[in-house]
Amino acid sequence: MNVKILYLYPDFMSLYGDNGNVRILERRLKDQGFDVEITSRTITDTDITFDDVDFVYMGSGFESNRNLVAAHLAQFKDSLVKAIDDGVPMLFTGNSYDILGDKIVISKSDDIKGLGIFDFNIIDQTEKRYTGDVVLEDEEKRQLYVGFVNRAGVPKGEGSLAFEVTKVIGNVPLTRDGVRKNNLLGISLIGPLLLKNPKIAESFVKIICERKGAEYKEISYPHSEKSHDKTKKALLNAEV
Amino acid sequence: MKIRAFTAILVCKVIRGLAKLMGRGSSLPGKYALKICPDILSELKLPELSIAVTGSNGKTSTVEMIAHILKSNGLKVAYNKEGSNQIEGVVTFLIGDSTMEGRVKSDVVLLEADERYARRVFGYFHPKYFVINNLYRDQMTRNGHPEWIRSIIADAVYDDMELILNADDPLVASFGKDRDGTIYFGADRLPSDTEKHEGIYNDGKYCPICKKPMEYEYYHYNHIGKFRCTSCGFARHDTDHALTTVNDAGDHASVIIDGEYEVPVFFTGIYHCYNILAAFTASVVAGIAPWKAAESLGGYILKSGRISDFTLGKVEGRLLLSKHENSVSYDRSIDVVVNDKRKKSVMIIVDAISRKYYTSDSSWLWDINFEKFKDADLDKIILAGQYCDDLAVRFDLAGIDSSKIEVFESVQGAADFCKEKLDSFLYVITCFSDKEKILSIVTRRELA
Ligand SMILES: [Zn+2]
Repeated sequence: MNVKILYLYPDFMSLYGDNGNVRILERRLKDQGFDVEITSRTITDTDITFDDVDFVYMGSGFESNRNLVAAHLAQFKDSLVKAIDDGVPMLFTGNSYDILGDKIVISKSDDIKGLGIFDFNIIDQTEKRYTGDVVLEDEEKRQLYVGFVNRAGVPKGEGSLAFEVTKVIGNVPLTRDGVRKNNLLGISLIGPLLLKNPKIAESFVKIICERKGAEYKEISYPHSEKSHDKTKKALLNAEV
Repeated sequence: MKIRAFTAILVCKVIRGLAKLMGRGSSLPGKYALKICPDILSELKLPELSIAVTGSNGKTSTVEMIAHILKSNGLKVAYNKEGSNQIEGVVTFLIGDSTMEGRVKSDVVLLEADERYARRVFGYFHPKYFVINNLYRDQMTRNGHPEWIRSIIADAVYDDMELILNADDPLVASFGKDRDGTIYFGADRLPSDTEKHEGIYNDGKYCPICKKPMEYEYYHYNHIGKFRCTSCGFARHDTDHALTTVNDAGDHASVIIDGEYEVPVFFTGIYHCYNILAAFTASVVAGIAPWKAAESLGGYILKSGRISDFTLGKVEGRLLLSKHENSVSYDRSIDVVVNDKRKKSVMIIVDAISRKYYTSDSSWLWDINFEKFKDADLDKIILAGQYCDDLAVRFDLAGIDSSKIEVFESVQGAADFCKEKLDSFLYVITCFSDKEKILSIVTRRELA
């Protein structure tokens, strides 16, 4: 059975080894017995459609790139919104989920209009980089997510943010982070978070199996589990 | 002179003297001076000639080479040694070289400027020349990303400075746009160039100025090469000084600059060549005759210690020092391994990402082109250190035969395995922060 991954802006929003997420998911889907087809669309493309795709991914980019992507992707918003409503699983990592909010506020320049799918604003600044390791708590699924944040701004709009930030090691002024709607997940963690958070990878694979009507096979990924456990332990024990 | 400045200089000199007596060099004296007089830098009287060097890679070696050239040509040079390229360190070394009235005694002030601190330091004084060597993805847990660093450096660039730029790095070269009098250095077409981009990501894909696609005639490595924007006309600038030839003939390796100045080198790693070229260019711009600059460089043996040979039982090996959190430096080490046609093994150690801080962030492993190992004739790949699980997942997805891969939590465990099981040449790739963990186990052999 064929699974189609749409990788958005892989050469334009690809700052922190984000390709890892697509590769990890591809691997897990192949292990489930799927044929995996990865297509990509980028800033120079004039057609993006979310019809007929089984998973959508976008990673982090320069803030200037993110701002251009916000305008570019707005052209295809209807198709995107329809796919979100239909429950297509999607993962937006790092600052790529910024564009799903109402607007991005940047100093000395006009605001950037977001897609307005979620009710938050991003407030960017240029003085300091917000970087640090974080632990996020997903109250709904009773899980902890671990990873690194590397951002110019933070989302404001507490009510619409999905996870509680329970620990920060570094300079990241976040108390809540991330958005979730149907099977879309947006989260500030950068890079291959599916490596350090195997539960997220597993839940995407389960959703895809279910949507495809295929039976989910239990497969263990010990290195990924160990990396999660080690990181969680290190971060929870770290003094701040 | 303000009394505060005088007190700051006095305190700085006294603490520096005490620290020296105790055999310690640090940037503590500068820290106190800054507390007493926050704008102490603007109170100092600097010599006419000052040169600052920044970039993601090679700041220290470039500065050391420039210092060597200037010194061997009779100039008295004040410069900050490795590890003191932050504002406190700059204050410490400048006051150390100044009179009680704050007049810096040397003929030249040479400054290794951390990208993020240039903004603060240059707020108080402007170096005459500012060399920018390269901007890569480097230590992004602290540096954000190259475009962020570019914007921070831009805050430190003033109209009265003369820029000396790497013409082959688009992000660096973009500083020279609409700026007269900028000096460019770069490499001409070299046999090792590729027409296709190699690497996991391409930071030269889009124009740093207008964000439209760029085209390359050739790449020296990563996004360094001859670029041209398809839209706004931004393109590689002609160079004032160029690396024209690289001779990689074993014992007689050398580079030729401007077609006539030959500099014997220890090894011809491409970004080492850029450091040499940057140092040559800065020195010539500062008034040293080109042949004299080349001659001084030739007599200078790099102390950088990037390569160490060793034996481990009956296994012979070589350590290739790279930088964690810097995929470009790893890519260059991978090239060394891949270009060695023997049957060989490689050990990657990621145990402490930095000596200074803990981070879980191993995302940079996914920016490194480990895929190149697929076609290399590798015997074993040994992954070691605290981050071995992250490495194991990364290597699994690089499409490398899993029977070749061995994973060890400890460097000792990895070394024991090599000692007992290996019968091929062993390359070890790791960082300053982890190198002692293997070097303390093996028997080192100094390079001839
Ligand atoms: Zn352009």
